[in-house]
Amino acid sequence: MNSVFLLLPVCLPIAVGLGIFFLKRHSAGLISGLAMGATLAASVLTWLLIFLCRQESFVLLHLTDALSFCFRFDSLGRFYAGIVATLWPLTVLYAFSYMAHEGHKRVFYSFFTVAYGVTLGICTAGNLITLYCFYEMLTLSTVPLVMHNLTRQAVRAARTYLAFSLGGAAFAFASVIFLVTNGAVGEFSFGGLLAGHPYERSALTWVFFLLGFFGFGVKAAVFPLHIWLPKASVAPTPVTALLHAVAVVNSGIFAVMRLVWYCYGPTLLRGSWAQNIALGFAIITMVYGAVYAVKEGHWKRRLAYSTVSNLSYMLFGILLLTPQGLEGSLLHMAFHSCMKILAFFCAGAVFHQTGREYNASLGGLGRAMPVTFTCFTISAVALTGIPPFNGFVSKWYLLTAAAECGTPMAYAGAGALLLSALLTAVYMMPNAVSGWFGRAEPGSLDTIREADWRMGLPHVVLSLGTLITGLFAQPVVQAAAAIAAGG
Amino acid sequence: MKVLFLILWPMAMAFVCWGIGRADKPLRNVLAIAVGWVELLAAVWLFLRPDSGGELPGLCVLGLRFAVDGFRRVYTLVVAFMWFLTLLFSPAYFAHHHNRNRYYFFNLLTLGATLGVFLARDLFTAFVFFEIMSFTSFTWVIQEQTAGAIRAANTYLAVAVIGGLVALMGLFLLQYRLATTELSTLHEAAAACPHKGTLYTAGACILFGFGAKAGMFPLHIWLPKAHPVAPAPASSLLSGVLTKSGIWGILAVSCNLFRDDAAWGTVILILGCVTMFLGALLALFSIDLKRTLACSSMSQIGFILVGIGMMGLLGRENALAARGTLLHMVNHSLFKLVLFLCAAAVYMNLHALDLNEIRGFGRKKPLLTAAFLLGALGIGGVPLLNGYISKTLLHESIVEGAVHYGSWLKAAEWVFLVSGGLTVAYMTKLFVAIFVQKHPTRQQEFDEKRRYLTPASAAALAIAALTLPVLGLGANRLMNGLADLGTDFFHPGHLEHAVAYYSPENLKGGAISIAIGAAVYLLVVRSLLYKDGVYLNRWPKWLDLEELLYRPLLLRILPGSFGFLAALFGENRISAPAAKAILSAAGKTAALFGENKLTGPAARKGFRLAGWLSRGFGDLTDAVVLLLGKTVLRQCPPPSDDQVRHSLPYRAGALLDRRAAAKGRAKDDGTHYAMLFYRAYRTVKDTTRAITGNLSFALLMLCLAMVFVFAYLLFFGK
Repeated sequence: MNSVFLLLPVCLPIAVGLGIFFLKRHSAGLISGLAMGATLAASVLTWLLIFLCRQESFVLLHLTDALSFCFRFDSLGRFYAGIVATLWPLTVLYAFSYMAHEGHKRVFYSFFTVAYGVTLGICTAGNLITLYCFYEMLTLSTVPLVMHNLTRQAVRAARTYLAFSLGGAAFAFASVIFLVTNGAVGEFSFGGLLAGHPYERSALTWVFFLLGFFGFGVKAAVFPLHIWLPKASVAPTPVTALLHAVAVVNSGIFAVMRLVWYCYGPTLLRGSWAQNIALGFAIITMVYGAVYAVKEGHWKRRLAYSTVSNLSYMLFGILLLTPQGLEGSLLHMAFHSCMKILAFFCAGAVFHQTGREYNASLGGLGRAMPVTFTCFTISAVALTGIPPFNGFVSKWYLLTAAAECGTPMAYAGAGALLLSALLTAVYMMPNAVSGWFGRAEPGSLDTIREADWRMGLPHVVLSLGTLITGLFAQPVVQAAAAIAAGG
Repeated sequence: MKVLFLILWPMAMAFVCWGIGRADKPLRNVLAIAVGWVELLAAVWLFLRPDSGGELPGLCVLGLRFAVDGFRRVYTLVVAFMWFLTLLFSPAYFAHHHNRNRYYFFNLLTLGATLGVFLARDLFTAFVFFEIMSFTSFTWVIQEQTAGAIRAANTYLAVAVIGGLVALMGLFLLQYRLATTELSTLHEAAAACPHKGTLYTAGACILFGFGAKAGMFPLHIWLPKAHPVAPAPASSLLSGVLTKSGIWGILAVSCNLFRDDAAWGTVILILGCVTMFLGALLALFSIDLKRTLACSSMSQIGFILVGIGMMGLLGRENALAARGTLLHMVNHSLFKLVLFLCAAAVYMNLHALDLNEIRGFGRKKPLLTAAFLLGALGIGGVPLLNGYISKTLLHESIVEGAVHYGSWLKAAEWVFLVSGGLTVAYMTKLFVAIFVQKHPTRQQEFDEKRRYLTPASAAALAIAALTLPVLGLGANRLMNGLADLGTDFFHPGHLEHAVAYYSPENLKGGAISIAIGAAVYLLVVRSLLYKDGVYLNRWPKWLDLEELLYRPLLLRILPGSFGFLAALFGENRISAPAAKAILSAAGKTAALFGENKLTGPAARKGFRLAGWLSRGFGDLTDAVVLLLGKTVLRQCPPPSDDQVRHSLPYRAGALLDRRAAAKGRAKDDGTHYAMLFYRAYRTVKDTTRAITGNLSFALLMLCLAMVFVFAYLLFFGK
């Protein structure tokens, strides 16, 4: 297929989303039907394009002679688009049930659908300028979703999110300007664009690289810029699950991948102090996020801190600057999305059915909601990295990459990874254990029912996905290996 | 393919049993026994007609591969045999229990996973099944769901997770240095590898992980806690089989990676001696039937570790040690099967395990008495039973080692003999308490309990007990035959001459142990641990490695140190000082320009306008948020959250208040440090939030970034 078709999955959800927003007369059924239809159509289109689209660029606009607004679907973009296109329809299905009794459905579905198109835009962006535009649009389109409840806490969280994201993007912008003025204006190319420019291997390059890293790192929740993420877990669960465990944060990771592997280039950065500083922050974040997750008493915030920690596994993999590292990072991106969205769905289902949201209040709930807690246990075990679930596979690849890299920083990272895996067990298992084995007040479980099928189906599908991609990881591993080999 | 059937059959049937159990419980029980029976038949089939193993390519990244050799065949048979008997015993034991469906489901899953460990061809496969086994067996420990069970289960889980992760690290190092974890190629690969340091690190990691499961000192802490709270059939499997899977891992490293490595052997020997002696000592002091048996397991694991250590130390002359290790593994599995089934019989009738409460229960119960006696004599190393054979072999190997290494192995020999003596002593203590002494008040009731076992459970107990004398009496044929099967796995040196088990020399070793045991029982147990007809628990309560070291380390010190770091750089405190510094610097610069340089009215007006503009711009985005809230989305009432009392400053202030009150210097006007501190803290927090949460902050960041861009363009650009 011609790459003009790339515009379709990007524009369709955005158009439908805006359409929902400006609907004059509306019913809940119409809105959710429109949202689901657009999401499904975009997902089907995306998967078709993943298999059929040619690797050529489509220029929409010429900003200047050299700068353009263009789309191109390379293997990395396809990988990320595959993750997003699989998880989004499931989340919309989940949202039908979860949002049934919430207000502002029109606004919710409208922005939720727009965010899908924007995320696909990030996947298909052909150069840094295009990526940056979609990146900013993602921030703006998700702010209303974060403040959806309009409690004081939610508004505060949204403002923090906005402040950090805009501020971060500004720093990233500085890096973009640096790249543009040094002639790296073309499309992304694996291995970097900067070879042979006047400031190659100078302190200036490192400074601007770090600005870009931390700028995009805001969405990837790198310490100390992670503060917005746990706060944002006040948003409705479909938002926290999909955006704050998958789409938004992975877009941050994706942008860092583009920056490191496709703009500055691993050969240029390897061995520089900029690499070590960035690696250092990633390693600190791994442990920091896990420690705070252990400390946290609120279930969803705990999961959010866990995301902070896990995102840094991916950053660590990217910054090792070896193909194996990138491969492990991509695998963790795919698998972590699956596991973490599952964990959030379970927490959301419990909150929706019982109103309980603190870790201490889960005693014995497993007997009333066995499917939910079975799925949560699977995600807890998988996140810890226990075979045969998929979390084990990605951690195995990340650790192997660290061992093969062999630098002191890589070993420190491997140690931090193991420590944080241990802490993962410490913060994930107690919720599962107390759900199954904890004591419940007599009679308190009588009125509690399992969530309906629209919540249950995504649980079961994702649990099976977690198991099957763990047992038969080869296709995903091969796709990641192909990307890391420059395919 | 037989191997795949052995592993996948129980795992698949676990789901079937669970499904059936939801509708029909008796049918589920029968089905579970049938699954065990088929498994046993398959194991016998594999034993008689071994094949070359099997493979599940591509599964779990590297693929799962299985091998079959003599040792693996023996252990598959032992595992299947023990599992079948415990399943046969289970319906009677669980007659009045809850959550039986869960128990059967995870029990069958664990069976498949355990066989997966024993039959694994490489360490990676073993690790995968080892982790599955750890997590599925967790439900055994927590089965009763009492407070004690939950605590023990948490300990079990923590040890399993930590052990698993450390073992995983070891696997990485091996995979990285040798590019293989397959047992048959490890030795050659290790010999060719110049990085000995890495290999030892890897070995230590694997020893840690698998040793934790085996119950090796100092990672034994879960063992004396988990066994007593688990249901007795499960305890017999935990103790008889699951600890052996840990030993399997240690053997896999010791017999291949560090074959004939004296340094490695020394480390294992020392750990084994400590485990052996400490376990026996703990068992002697315990007054709980199952706890005694659990500590005894730990001690016997120590004996096995001594054998493994001697295999390393003796180099190519280690045939005796290898045979002793294998036989003691098999024997110990069978002892613990018998003894825990006896404990199960006691518990399901009395629902008590304290020696003072179950005293005299075994009187006038011939089957129970015979079974327990056989188990006790066997584990005590009394001649004519199988325990004597394996202990003699282990003892022989230490004696042989003493010829090479001299006096310090003499000391090891004495630890070995004393531990053997302690074994005799604590088994005597149990036997006398349960089968000889009378209960002060309930003896009549105990004697009248004739139907204390169902026919199925009685059969299970009888079959289990009969294996011990059969193996012991057929020492030369059966035991030697079993030991011969171990050569493919243990890779021992050549056996010089057959061992005469009942030569005077060897009988002397057994006699010394029994004499020590008799002395300890008479002098220590009867005088110190038994007063006025009551068994006393003299072990000091505070002397518990877990409470003393591990829990504080993991739960206090580690998080504390991170907490300290977090407090230094922590949440909400990161951006505030930086932002404030920048703001004040900007203010100073503006003041500098504003006051001194640009005093003209036009300039002042310009500045004021710029000020208005920037403020308007700053508030504009806030206004958008506000507008969005007022129009599109409705404002909800704020929640009331009062966390004052839990904040750190409040607590610190309260502490000061208390000190002041204690010294009589409390303020009269009612002001408290607590509230004072809290208010200050609130102010700082609110200010910070106002700064970081405000869009102006984002704009500030934006401006900062623009400064970078302009500076760059000015000084470095084209």
